Amino acid sequence: MKTDELISLMAASDRPVDTGWLGRTTWLAALLATVATVGLVLLTLGARHDLAATWASGPVLTKALFGASVATIALAAFQKSLRPGLKPRKGFALIAVPVVAVAIWAAVTLMNAPPEQWTALTFGRSWRACLIAIPLYALVPFAVLLALARQGAPVDQPFSGASAGIASAGLATIAYSVHCPEDAIPFIASWYPLAMAAMAGLGAWIFPRMVRW
Amino acid sequence: MSIDELETQLRPAFLAGLGGDAAAYRLFLETISLRLRGYLRSQLARVGRHEASEAEDVLQETLLALHLSRHTYEPASPVTAWAHAIARYKLIDHLRRSGRHAANLPIDEEAYQLAAPDTVASDARLDLSRAMQALPERTRTLIDRVKVQGCTIAEAAGAAGMTETAAKVAIHRGLHALARILTKRGPRAEP
Repeated sequence: MKTDELISLMAASDRPVDTGWLGRTTWLAALLATVATVGLVLLTLGARHDLAATWASGPVLTKALFGASVATIALAAFQKSLRPGLKPRKGFALIAVPVVAVAIWAAVTLMNAPPEQWTALTFGRSWRACLIAIPLYALVPFAVLLALARQGAPVDQPFSGASAGIASAGLATIAYSVHCPEDAIPFIASWYPLAMAAMAGLGAWIFPRMVRW
Repeated sequence: MSIDELETQLRPAFLAGLGGDAAAYRLFLETISLRLRGYLRSQLARVGRHEASEAEDVLQETLLALHLSRHTYEPASPVTAWAHAIARYKLIDHLRRSGRHAANLPIDEEAYQLAAPDTVASDARLDLSRAMQALPERTRTLIDRVKVQGCTIAEAAGAAGMTETAAKVAIHRGLHALARILTKRGPRAEP
């Protein structure tokens, strides 16, 4: 086929195109995936026994807000990364703001606590559970974002994958906060970002293999 | 023509095309393909590939990807940057497939700013024609009428006993299938 024949073919079958679909769908899909993940956490692990009394308290809200802010920044970058010619890495550095803020808060907490409590504050009783549960629950939004990426045109697949992974872990953090019984800030500042980093790695590895176009 | 002048010329045409203006879309495709041909040829020459037919293959694959990814264009951003990012992706994909290690691909992200247009089309290496063989008979006939015989979509649809919309949808699906076949094919046998 000659190139100008291809062009006539494409021009002839041209129909109006909606450029807003990808952005709208990303946010809507993330919202629905979060609701589904919360449902899954409640179904499998159950809510923390004191959720009714504590949901609006500092720690639960901190965890949810931390997850939501990380997820929002990562989703914005992810959505951009599906559109060729944009620079999604630019705004992505903002992700350091919530992570560093929680880290500073954790450092202050530790400095004000006696050294013999440091281990308990950081490791709690369930750091292993947290490290396993968040990436596992994150697979729900991750699968949704992976399917979405195949509808877009990611030219930097490791980056799309990493941002999708971090966003999924952020959304899973919101969901897991209804169960997670650990309220110490040093705990939150250690294991949650580690779970997000693990999902970033998974995404960066899997996207180049699964999203070719 | 500088990249900014090109942008000023192409953006209104492309936006009109997104709204369904086929003539404007055609003008966009014709203009951008000259530029992309120049870009692809110069980049391929840099890695020691001087055959024009190879550049034409990558150009056709890029045009197909542009067409099928129009919904990924962000209306506030430069359309030339969008098109070149897709061309660069398809070029890297092509080089990787034909046996180059990703790490030593010297494809500069900003190189397109300097590319000159190239109006001399050459014959492709038949990749697309080969992929066409895998399409259903009905779609192939429809495509043949429009591209070779130069029928309008209405004429081709009439001859096939379809509505115009159904013909457009069928051709669109055909182009999708072509893109999928091109993406899934294995390493190219080097001539």
